[in-house]
Amino acid sequence: MELLDIISPLFLALIVGGTFVGIVFGAIPGMTATMAVAVCLPITYSLGLENGLALLLGLYVGGISGGMVPAILLGIPGTPSSITTTFDGLPMTKKGEGEKALRIGICSSLVGGLVSLLILWLCAPLLADFAIQFSYVEKFLIILFALTVMAALSNDMLIGIFSGFLGIFIALIGTYDISDGGNGEIRLIPPGLDYWLESGFALLPVLIGLFGLAAILEEAERGVPQSQSAADVKIGSQSTFSFSVFRGQTVNLLRSGGIGTFAGILPGVGGSAASILSYSNAKTFSKHPERYGTGEPEGIIASEAGNNGLTGGALVPLLSLGIPGDSTTALLIGAFTLQGIQVGPLFIGNNPVTWDAMIVAMLIANLAMFTMMYFAIRHIARIVTVPKHILFPIILMMCVIGAYTINYGIMFDVWTLLIFGVFGWLAVKLRLEIAPFIIGFILGPSAEVYFVKSLESFNDLTIFFTKSWIAIVLWVLIIGSVAGSVALSRSRQSTTADA
Amino acid sequence: MNGLTEVTIAFETSHLVFPSLIAGVLAILGLAILIRERRSIAASGGYWRETFAKMDKLRFLGTLALTVLYFSLMVPVGNVWPNTGLGFLICSIPYVFLSGLIFLHDRGLRAVAPVAITALVAPTLVWWLFTDLFFLTLP
Amino acid sequence: MTFTRRFILAGATALATALPAAAQELPGNVRLVIGSTSTGGDTYQNSSIVADALAEKLGINIKVDAVGATEAFKALDRDSRGTTLMIFHDQSYLGNLYGVRGYQDIFENYTVGPTVAINPGNAYLVPKGSEYQSMDDILTAAENGERVRVAIQPGGVSEIGFSAMKNAARVRSEGSEENIVAVNTGSQSDKNQTLFDDLADVINGSIQANEQFTQLPEDDQKSMRFVWITARPATLEQAPEEGMGDTTRDQLLQYASPETSVTLDGEEDFTFDKEFFFLYNPEMDEAIVEQIDTALEEIYAEGEIQERQKASFFIPNFLPSDEAQEHLREKRSTYDEVISQISGDNS
Repeated sequence: MELLDIISPLFLALIVGGTFVGIVFGAIPGMTATMAVAVCLPITYSLGLENGLALLLGLYVGGISGGMVPAILLGIPGTPSSITTTFDGLPMTKKGEGEKALRIGICSSLVGGLVSLLILWLCAPLLADFAIQFSYVEKFLIILFALTVMAALSNDMLIGIFSGFLGIFIALIGTYDISDGGNGEIRLIPPGLDYWLESGFALLPVLIGLFGLAAILEEAERGVPQSQSAADVKIGSQSTFSFSVFRGQTVNLLRSGGIGTFAGILPGVGGSAASILSYSNAKTFSKHPERYGTGEPEGIIASEAGNNGLTGGALVPLLSLGIPGDSTTALLIGAFTLQGIQVGPLFIGNNPVTWDAMIVAMLIANLAMFTMMYFAIRHIARIVTVPKHILFPIILMMCVIGAYTINYGIMFDVWTLLIFGVFGWLAVKLRLEIAPFIIGFILGPSAEVYFVKSLESFNDLTIFFTKSWIAIVLWVLIIGSVAGSVALSRSRQSTTADA
Repeated sequence: MNGLTEVTIAFETSHLVFPSLIAGVLAILGLAILIRERRSIAASGGYWRETFAKMDKLRFLGTLALTVLYFSLMVPVGNVWPNTGLGFLICSIPYVFLSGLIFLHDRGLRAVAPVAITALVAPTLVWWLFTDLFFLTLP
Repeated sequence: MTFTRRFILAGATALATALPAAAQELPGNVRLVIGSTSTGGDTYQNSSIVADALAEKLGINIKVDAVGATEAFKALDRDSRGTTLMIFHDQSYLGNLYGVRGYQDIFENYTVGPTVAINPGNAYLVPKGSEYQSMDDILTAAENGERVRVAIQPGGVSEIGFSAMKNAARVRSEGSEENIVAVNTGSQSDKNQTLFDDLADVINGSIQANEQFTQLPEDDQKSMRFVWITARPATLEQAPEEGMGDTTRDQLLQYASPETSVTLDGEEDFTFDKEFFFLYNPEMDEAIVEQIDTALEEIYAEGEIQERQKASFFIPNFLPSDEAQEHLREKRSTYDEVISQISGDNS
């Protein structure tokens, strides 16, 4: 079959429809791109391979992009990969620049998606060969580098880093999972709670608890002041979007898209690390890192270009090693096997038409995502004008659905939501910092596996410095990032001292 | 190579390596915070009293209590009609309604009506969407 | 408020009438939990094929939920009405044999139901340039005091073949099993990576996931070669003749018993088929067990399900509950023997 035979009206409709459903899933707090793909996977059996993939890739691109909407407007990351978008997105919304922030995010998503698609198209097999140069040691260093963003995100370095390590610590509760290479033993579980905690706390419920429920509890504590809603937030009227925001951001856009792609290429690292890595990189290289976290467009650009960069990147190991780069692409394997198609190092060579069809589908999905979101944004942004007594109960209910369905029906995940909602509320009172905490929580488990496995394999601490030239490069980045954060914190202290 | 940097990890106890390391770092950082912040920690009793006094107790505690009730009832109610998601639907309607009511300041009919409509429409729509269309499991 | 209450009541009455009249049948809405958290993996695929067929046959709804082993067993424990069923594979008793947390004796604590299919893919591979041409080379190397590192995911399906290797080494020359050592890793990607990093000499893998790697030229760092496929020859013979990818069934058979022999006791060969079967709550009504058996018997007699299974490289393998129980008990006692023979050393 030729490529042109595959690109039928149905093929196009599936991509556009998939992208739309994906955006909706991504935009609902607690619903993720992974879930969108999971619920639609069975449909693809009857659609055939290329059409099925068109639908799933649309869902994937849409789902990752849609996550920015609640992240920016409500401060609740729609998907784990949009976590860093909240850091600057929500402050912009509070300044009345929600619509502008969304437009920046959408444009960055498009660029990130296209950058990664280009990389995927041009050099997938080559990159796969590069990716396998990353052993446990290099993967640990990548995670360590992503963890350095904890320092960059802290308002108070000491407390911020404490919060980050607390996040790692809490993420380790439960079983050292055999399927990640652990020994299946449990640890850190308070006596009597084995039954509940043996699987630990799931990421998504923790995320929406900390960002969704906690924020609502805080509002409730303050009596849900009504004046703040509709009248106060003038979406977009105060500062209009223009493409001039992107002036001087070309490097940031391309770098973030590239980093996102690269994070996706590394199996086991990808997923949530993509946007964290690009955010931390952007901050390290920024001329005014002190503005990050206060509503800086650069931060949104880095985060959104990074997480959409992931989409193309995660397909690299899938299509050239038969190994998924993140949880969503793991489901795509199912779509292939349902059709009896093998994915592995020979896939691209054996199935050139399917490969081209996938590239085309990704391209169209990115463009469709951009068009739909860019023109619907004015209406989407109105969500902040919905009165809180209507909006909050619905958010609470959606969070419950998200938590319950993320692992296909586990009630403890719903309780996790409440536990971390209360924890999030308390943490603010205790002056703990949520942003580093969640970064630690997300990256903690991979940091553990790669660290312990490195030592198990090489029995020597020096291996982290001597393994390869890649390790050296990573150390340079890690040191650069830490030094940047320290310098920033110093200058901040001296300005407060001067004042 | 240098004996000092050598580390041998037994697989059987490897689940404790990283947690111990992190616990150690946490302890050191925690101690540093305690020392630096000793004054404000000592004075924290007043801070909490003030927080509690300022709190809108009805809304805050009400939300918490409702949420606990909502979560606790969902599964037992759902168990009456297994695997239909009705536990979710039946519990969500009063939850959305009551929490809306709590958040509301002026509880006149004009204000309550939209809350009631939302409480009916939103859970039903969502329930239909997820159980029927997406075929997901709800309590 | 009244409005709300009336709505609930209306909904409740409507549904109460829809409840099954008799308890000895599967209810109209069944949740099928599986022992894997992946919705792209073989357990999920297999379960959804069976669930689809069963749902159609019985005119009920069946949802497959990938909650993972721990949560699946918990869900099964909670519900004896037949509204929750489970499908899992040999991991369910192997986990218990290897003493993994959360795995109880399935024959004691649950009712073992019918088997539905086999995944014949469990395999062991070496780098293409490896000096080991066959399992015999590996066992000989161990006998000669050479350390052979095998990357596995410990505690179940991935380890059983490794245990069998050690056992075969022991049968061949007492003490040489010490030279076959495990490299404990996790996912398939991790196992492959240990080979690329030269941290392992042999890895556990599968026909499906690794076949394409065996087609790469030897100078490619990623290239691999099969050394052993653990499936029974009778199972593998039922696979499609064209095999998988560019490897035909006949070629695959070269790596399985009897061509490639990993001995069990000096006479028989060790074999392992990854079989998928139902697990029920022990209190569940006997009539439901029979209902599922009968329904599956009819489904397999019609022959459509076999086509779907074969298309996804599964071997259809229906055994009704009592036969399945006997078969799996026997299988378990064989593996129990293997594991206890080699225990005492570090496995």
